[in-house]
Amino acid sequence: MKTLIKIKPNSYKVGDIVKVDFMAMHPMESGMRKDKDTGQIVPAHYINEVNFFFNDKVLTKMITWESLSVNPVLSISLKVSGAGTLKVLAKDNKGESVETSAAITPKG
Amino acid sequence: MERRSFLKGFGAVTACAALIPTITHAAEEAKKVTGPNEMSMESAIAAITGGKPVTPSSKVSLSAPEIAENGAVVPVKVSVESQMSANDYVKAIHLLATKNNNVRCANVYLTPANGEATFGTRIKLGSTQDVLAIAEMSNGTFLSAKQNVKVTIGGCG
Repeated sequence: MKTLIKIKPNSYKVGDIVKVDFMAMHPMESGMRKDKDTGQIVPAHYINEVNFFFNDKVLTKMITWESLSVNPVLSISLKVSGAGTLKVLAKDNKGESVETSAAITPKG
Repeated sequence: MERRSFLKGFGAVTACAALIPTITHAAEEAKKVTGPNEMSMESAIAAITGGKPVTPSSKVSLSAPEIAENGAVVPVKVSVESQMSANDYVKAIHLLATKNNNVRCANVYLTPANGEATFGTRIKLGSTQDVLAIAEMSNGTFLSAKQNVKVTIGGCG
């Protein structure tokens, strides 16, 4: 699972509200699709838990289901309280977990 | 040598013949399977609210396209009017697709550190249906917003 965090806009000050986009490369199989070649049902494989932490404090917790699109994008807001690191932990139903982090560096 | 190759070939044929019934059997079984997490609208809402009433409110705004050409990627944005202070904030945003087999899309648990109660993502919709957002406020009330999305090509399959 490849993941990426994007923070918009590029430059921000303390007290601003920024948009945090978390993207993951994931098939998000629903468990209902049939493989065209074999005719077998493709087993469900989706991200079921995404947790956002800012300076090791819980920012947002998400429970997600297979209804999210392939390569999901999850976006939330963050009020910048100071410099720090934003950490995202994502898990899928097959037990794979990925940790991604991004630096929050307010200017001015 | 000829006999050996004949036997090998014969063996392969019988193996295939033995497999065919199992394949067709699997296909029949597959029709019954309706998804691993199938959940109806009523039970999903009950699980979220615990029986409390949900009131439609203009405080919750849900933006989704009216017509989605491709049901596999439908961008959805939810924002809830709130101060997001320590005493008055949005606890959670629940996103549901009313006619998908598993109606639940995402349960998002927010904190005052978010600053704004917003959530955006892209979802799959199997057919034309309503997308419902339920916001759980810190005072225990549930507000909702709904929008119909017309889907030309379904996103499941």
